[in-house]
Amino acid sequence: MQFKKKQIHSTIALLLIGSGALGLSSQALANDSDELEKLRTLVQELDQKVRVLDRKNELAEEDAAAKKKETPVVKASKDGFGFESADGKNTIKFRALLQTDYRDYQQGANDIRERTDQRAGNIGADGFHDSADTFVLRRARPIIEGTLFGKYDYKFTSDFGNGAAVIQDAYVDARFDPAFKVRVGRFKPDLGLERLQGAGDIKFVERSYVTNNLLPNRDLGIALHGDVLNDKLSYSLGFYNGVADGSSTTGAAGFLGDKDIGARIFTTPFKGSDSVLAGLGFGIAGTYGDAQGERNLNFTDTSSADNTRQGLPSAYLTDGQQVFFRYGTGTVADGSRFRIAPQANYYYGPFGLIAEYTRVEQEVSLAGGGSPGAGGAATNSKIFAGTNKRLSHDAWEIAGSYLLTGEDASFKGVKPKRDFDLDKGGWGAWELVARYSEINLDSDTFKNSNGQYAVASSGTTANSAYADLSQSAKTASTWTTGLNWYLSQNVKFQLNYSQTSFDGGAIAGPSHTAGGAIINVNAAGSNIKDREDERAVLARVQFTY
Amino acid sequence: MKTFFLSLTALIAALALASPIAATAADVTLLNVSYDPTRELYQDYNAAFAKYWKAKTGDNVTIKASHGGSGKQARAIIDGLDADVATLALAYDVDQLSEKGKLIPKDWQKRLPNNSAPYTSTIVFLVRKGNPKHIKDWDDVVKPGISVITPNPKTSGGARWNYLAAYAYALKKYGNDDAKAREFVGKLYKNVPVLDSGARGSTTTFVERGIGDVLLAWENEAFLAQKELGPDKVDIVVPSLSILAEPPVTIVDKVVDKHKTRAVATAYLEYLYSEEGQEIAAKNYYRPTLAAVAQKYEKNFPKINLITIDDVFGGWQKAQKTHFADGGTFDQIYTK
Repeated sequence: MQFKKKQIHSTIALLLIGSGALGLSSQALANDSDELEKLRTLVQELDQKVRVLDRKNELAEEDAAAKKKETPVVKASKDGFGFESADGKNTIKFRALLQTDYRDYQQGANDIRERTDQRAGNIGADGFHDSADTFVLRRARPIIEGTLFGKYDYKFTSDFGNGAAVIQDAYVDARFDPAFKVRVGRFKPDLGLERLQGAGDIKFVERSYVTNNLLPNRDLGIALHGDVLNDKLSYSLGFYNGVADGSSTTGAAGFLGDKDIGARIFTTPFKGSDSVLAGLGFGIAGTYGDAQGERNLNFTDTSSADNTRQGLPSAYLTDGQQVFFRYGTGTVADGSRFRIAPQANYYYGPFGLIAEYTRVEQEVSLAGGGSPGAGGAATNSKIFAGTNKRLSHDAWEIAGSYLLTGEDASFKGVKPKRDFDLDKGGWGAWELVARYSEINLDSDTFKNSNGQYAVASSGTTANSAYADLSQSAKTASTWTTGLNWYLSQNVKFQLNYSQTSFDGGAIAGPSHTAGGAIINVNAAGSNIKDREDERAVLARVQFTY
Repeated sequence: MKTFFLSLTALIAALALASPIAATAADVTLLNVSYDPTRELYQDYNAAFAKYWKAKTGDNVTIKASHGGSGKQARAIIDGLDADVATLALAYDVDQLSEKGKLIPKDWQKRLPNNSAPYTSTIVFLVRKGNPKHIKDWDDVVKPGISVITPNPKTSGGARWNYLAAYAYALKKYGNDDAKAREFVGKLYKNVPVLDSGARGSTTTFVERGIGDVLLAWENEAFLAQKELGPDKVDIVVPSLSILAEPPVTIVDKVVDKHKTRAVATAYLEYLYSEEGQEIAAKNYYRPTLAAVAQKYEKNFPKINLITIDDVFGGWQKAQKTHFADGGTFDQIYTK
């Protein structure tokens, strides 16, 4: 276009010069006013034509600029790849999160006592196997997200980590108004603070007991949520299938009983101010529901694999991701479940703090029947009368972080002031982190209807405990310290050392009789000792975009 | 553990009490999506209304404005531009907000006086100083060699008024012979070297780029150009016949309900009919509809024989379909 414009201008200029030349060469006719008038008219006409051409070009450029605003945009950056309509109302973005971990255990018992699987290695004096150091593909998540019609956000996250393929998120979020949004599908319910932090943004390799063990992970349902009072107060009210502690819905039908109602209110009252409290947020969340679990109904009929059908968590894990607590296979959820979770965070300059507490109360019973073992004939699942009990567990954490390289801490990820670059001399961002977290299980969990310690119910007797104190600990307390190195916004190394001490969870003295039989907990619980501390080094390489 | 929990609860309670979250004084923002030449009018009017509203309610109102070709602006609103109020060049464009956008009720024009047109205008000629091409009436505009500047009727409301005024003149001249009127207007558009998308663009073409012998212009635009350039640069020529242009205004119901601005948006438009609103319109060369103000500024506006679109063309819907729809008369006569 510019070339053409120049050509036209050159042509017109030559004509004008030619006209001038004519005028010069026709000096003799200088006094001829008619001729001069003709020349003047010609110049004026040519001048108008040039002006018209210029104006048309100008309008064409304006038109092209306007059309450019309507052309879809292809985006490729460190934030992901995607397409976007010119008005930004329709977008699709492709992102990914890859976390490869290495776990090294100095101490710490494998959860399976008296495991017969020879691959588990040697049995320790307390009847447990040593934990195996290992590489783990913790998360491998392709993520597709975007917006339709400027108002409907969507997200689809699959996960191929941990040796399984699952759908983590599959939801649509309709933003009718900042104060009125509706989310439907499978997603993280607005409950736990640390859970709502993105998996790529968490400060530690693993989340705390509050998040991993007691609060729901992903659930299926519908939630009304929004931000009000200049975004200083957010609320959420949801209706969900309801999931066991620390678990995610499978996407299939929920348990019998009422659905869960979840609610959360969170405020950042000083947000946007110059106050030192500008980075303060606090709130409270809770769920209420009713779950009626079932005894193993011959679906998979082996061990704990079917425990989720019981409406109870399959296990509670340590920071090193070892199981330290498991309900007996005859224990089922049987009644109301209530969770409450006060929470707060604070960010000031490079300093960050998060504190969270959760209490869960769950009615449980013992059940018999179902499928008693591999290949066994299924019978009707039956709750044993008089075994219903309300168990109350709680957990809390307090965690701090400090960015040594001076970046501002936030709930979201860290963007280094200078990316790691040997040529340019950048060293990325470095962050120190420390956390204390503990979980306390109700003592009644380990006692039978007579108030005595007992072996866990396997579904064959009504006078068992809900969990076995010789196999499961009552309390786990963990100190975690660590160092995060953000090479860039997209690459992170994490190194954590965590030490976990337990209350109970192992047999004092020999684990077997002379005849080789397993020694169980006695009625007074006097032959129980604390499990050995778990000392774990957890390392992670994370790549995200 | 209990100590921690109690401390946390106490901290939360204390901070909740200290929270500065409270109802704030209302700061309201309105978006007025308007046609091209109303920039100066609404610049003055917005300031006056904000002052009035502050005095009346104590609330601060900020009015943002968007200007462009009227048809283009209507399409932008339909496509999602969040206009609280639309102040467009002609009723047909506002009708589209109801018909295509479902954003306002069908009877929107009945909600405010004078068919929701708080001021009127008409079409005049702006010529070079001294009128070197001796342009006096529409017959002169269609003469060969006369360069006429007018915007595109497909995108500009003002351009449609220009077109219809010329067409009405031709119909009168040729005893309602439509074929001859069409030929007349065809000759006019043969004289148009550049079609801008809006009236302000055409003014730029004529005034700033120095193109053309005559600009078919809104009366207010012509007066404004003369004021800004000085009377030694351009002259205004009033044709023997022109058209009564009634630029209408409306709130955009779906948007004001979403923004919760219905009350202030309605007051914004109603205030246009007030004495102060009418004074501002008159000072910006729009013909006021309030009798007292109209009388006061009578001398400023030349007396013109004005026809109405209803009388000559059967209303905007019919005129649009016949002349400006795809394949209509304009498409047939404009071949450039």
